Amino acid sequence: MLRFIAKRLGYGFLVLLGVVGVVFFLFHALPGDPVAMMAGQRTDVATRQAIEKELGLDQPLAVQFYLYLKDLSPLSIHEDTAEEQEKYSYIPLLSLGEDEVLVLKGPYLRRSFQTNKKVGEILLDNLEATLWLALAAMVFATFFGVIFGMLAALSQNTFWDHFLVIISVLGISIPSFVSAIIIAMVFGYYLSDYTGLNLTGQLWVNHPIYGRTLHIENLILPAFTLGLRPLSIITQLTRSSMLEVLSQDYIRTARAKGLQYYKVIVKHALKNALNPVVTAVSGWLASLMAGAFFVEYIFDWKGLGFVTLKAVQSLDFPVVMGATLFIALIFVLVNIVVDIFYALLDPRVHLS
Amino acid sequence: MHFPTDLPDRPQEPLLEVKGLQTQFHTRAGVVRAVDGVSFTVNKGEAIGIVGESGSGKSVSALSIMRLVDQPGSIVGGSINFHSKQLGEVDLVRLPSPRMRQIRGNEISMIFQEPMSSLNPVYTCGDQVMESILLHQQVNGKVAKERTLELFRRVRLPQPELAFNSYPHQLSGGQKQRVMIAMALSCNPQLLIADEPTTALDVTVQSNILKLFAEFRQELQTSVIFITHDLGVIAEVADRVLVMYQGKIVEEGPIWDIFSNPQHPYTKGLLACRPRLDMKLKVLPTVSDFMGMDAEGALTEKKSQKYNSVGEALLFNVQSQAEIEQHQQALLQKPPIMEVRNLKTYFTDGGSWFSRKQEIVKAVDDVSFEVYPGETLGLVGESGCGKTTLGRSLLRLIEPTAGDIYFEGQRINELKEKEMRRLRSEMQIVFQDPYASLNPRHTIGRAIMEPMKIHGVLANEQQRKEKVMYLLERVNLKPDYFNRYPHEFSGGQRQRICIARTLALEPKFIICDESVSALDVSVQAQVLNLLNELKQDFGLTYIFISHDLSVIKFIADRVLVMNNGRLVEAGYPEQLYENPQEAYTKTLIEAIPHGHLEDIRKAQLARKLAQRKMGG
Repeated sequence: MLRFIAKRLGYGFLVLLGVVGVVFFLFHALPGDPVAMMAGQRTDVATRQAIEKELGLDQPLAVQFYLYLKDLSPLSIHEDTAEEQEKYSYIPLLSLGEDEVLVLKGPYLRRSFQTNKKVGEILLDNLEATLWLALAAMVFATFFGVIFGMLAALSQNTFWDHFLVIISVLGISIPSFVSAIIIAMVFGYYLSDYTGLNLTGQLWVNHPIYGRTLHIENLILPAFTLGLRPLSIITQLTRSSMLEVLSQDYIRTARAKGLQYYKVIVKHALKNALNPVVTAVSGWLASLMAGAFFVEYIFDWKGLGFVTLKAVQSLDFPVVMGATLFIALIFVLVNIVVDIFYALLDPRVHLS
Repeated sequence: MHFPTDLPDRPQEPLLEVKGLQTQFHTRAGVVRAVDGVSFTVNKGEAIGIVGESGSGKSVSALSIMRLVDQPGSIVGGSINFHSKQLGEVDLVRLPSPRMRQIRGNEISMIFQEPMSSLNPVYTCGDQVMESILLHQQVNGKVAKERTLELFRRVRLPQPELAFNSYPHQLSGGQKQRVMIAMALSCNPQLLIADEPTTALDVTVQSNILKLFAEFRQELQTSVIFITHDLGVIAEVADRVLVMYQGKIVEEGPIWDIFSNPQHPYTKGLLACRPRLDMKLKVLPTVSDFMGMDAEGALTEKKSQKYNSVGEALLFNVQSQAEIEQHQQALLQKPPIMEVRNLKTYFTDGGSWFSRKQEIVKAVDDVSFEVYPGETLGLVGESGCGKTTLGRSLLRLIEPTAGDIYFEGQRINELKEKEMRRLRSEMQIVFQDPYASLNPRHTIGRAIMEPMKIHGVLANEQQRKEKVMYLLERVNLKPDYFNRYPHEFSGGQRQRICIARTLALEPKFIICDESVSALDVSVQAQVLNLLNELKQDFGLTYIFISHDLSVIKFIADRVLVMNNGRLVEAGYPEQLYENPQEAYTKTLIEAIPHGHLEDIRKAQLARKLAQRKMGG
């Protein structure tokens, strides 16, 4: 088990390295000039050069890449100065030569070109909102998806089965930006007097009198929108997996024992049918953290996707890079957890 | 000498009376009458056998008794009277579901054909047996666990405690079937229905399971309905036999009568078409020798049969000792078509980027033999012995680890992919599962034509098409089947199509990998005859891989016995079966259910004596 986790972490590390490389070079292949975005179109050449130098953009691409990796690496060599110490907040390990030192530090994601805030802080500030949104969407999707899928499978070829299948096909095929706009418009605007919902994309709202208050209802619309696709897919997946399991010999064995219908379904069929669903759910959870871009944007939900989209627009390289890496890390970790969970659910799966 | 076969029977008390049972399946193609007016009685303590080929309605009859027939099937007529301990005499057809559940698994229990898939993979074997006990008996978990362990000991699971905590995939097929038997016996049922319980198992495992059945029958006085397509098996377990054909019972009687004096042509055919161990036949009699065939190719009864009795059928076909010896001599005259020297195929388990720890599985371990042109070399062994891997290694479908393979004097181990591909048109393989080896989306014409196209056989499409028609005719199918799809054919017909596809490239050498194992005995006989006929006409050489020793005995000129990746014994079937040298071969041969009249008489007598003892 431990060996399995270590191995998967090793693979995960390689994945992250690949992500850094691809995003880094892609970003620099993009048209546009971050310096111009920062300083405005009419800045004189001297200022431009100063900014470029400060950001390290005057160096060759390979050197820039090396410096970025060095900033990321938890073990690295830096100058032993108070300035560097403050920048990286490192723990010196070993003194190398006169003013160089081998250090242990948290990965340094640099500062935003735009706001000069530390990228790490920006991400952490916005993570909470995205996390709640993704979790809410996923819980909603899983709960109803499994129920709908089971209902459809148990009433195969009846009206309800066909109805659920058709609706879920719709849910899978409508792109999230379309459904987001429609749902926002209908429920958050036209019907907002009846639903009491609006497009304030925040969980915590500063109220002039009551101070900082929790507004959980603001989660409803974006979570519903975000959950539509996974809901549809989980419904279909549960349905087909349930149908397959129900035709298995061991279901007949369970019935031949004289078990009640619901026990056969819940105890013998569902546990087997849920395996593929678990994989799907967890895969979705990870991609929802990343893929909520449109939904966050349309509902003005101040999460990771929102920040990343803004950063891409303003060519804010450190934020884009940091957010992508962070999301990739979540992906890798979630997948490891899924595999472990999978092994717990199905004794035939060995973690090796 | 007089055998007292007619010991006076104890007074018979009926347990289950099936009357005019009709179960139908409503499909798009119309109504299928799977069980069509079946009536029979099972007495207390009696074991009856139901024999028939797949689709004869024997399994559906059993499922009807359990009321487990799934949609779109339903019981449409008849009654099933059961003398229940809890409910008195009831008609199972009309019993409300909650009542039926009290009987299912408690008074009537069932064992299924596929031990591999009949246990739920996510629960331990112990849990699954306990579930049944907890459901029907008012006991707590601790008692249920003790009873389960006791049952596991009684069905001779090697380590009951370990099996209790094992998941089904951790046990072998035979062990799983023992768990199923333990589950079926857990509530001391009055009636046990066993649906082909040994068909999926190796012969040695089968014989152990059959012994277990016999023991339990004596101990528990449980009535048994034993369903099988193999008359040899039924002879060992049943007192009375029903022969089913197309949803009807065509013959019924004590087992001795059925074997010694079958009345219905279908029963005669079934008895005659089993490959025999005691004599070598030129051609296997088939069911159609006893019955006619109508225009659609379906079997019907006919008056002018080819043979009138089983004995006659055998007599016409038996090969004399001189003929056999002459044939054997002739085969060894020519130089071998294939020579295999010290062949090894190992698999490595595990191992990856980060860890180098590997386990080596020696699937084929230092095997050497020759194949002579025109012969059929039988390769026999239990599942997992490496016979399939060996077959595939010979064609380099699996790359051998070491050793030499010479085909017509040429060493083929290091041939390039291109040369190998050319050579493969001369060496072909027919697989076990005719259902999985045909692409369901291609017409059979296309399936047979495809290899010809790939290898550029014949000049144009028209010629190839004609060749396909010819081949279809050769394997006893109609040429106008060209544009049909595989799902329209039965298992036996599909296997013929596979054989036709193999022949399309005009090979010299064919490996038949369990090619008849998935077929019914009667269909098996037809396919075996076809293979022999084609061998003569096309000058073929076969390696015939099978776990079934009777089939090997019929078809093979020489036999290799394989165990744990090694060749254990080799020889002519006549000598090998009469006088096996190795202990392993002996166990294999002793485990074959014979269905000899003498054995049946003895077994029946033993059962009756035991019954008397029990009855006091």
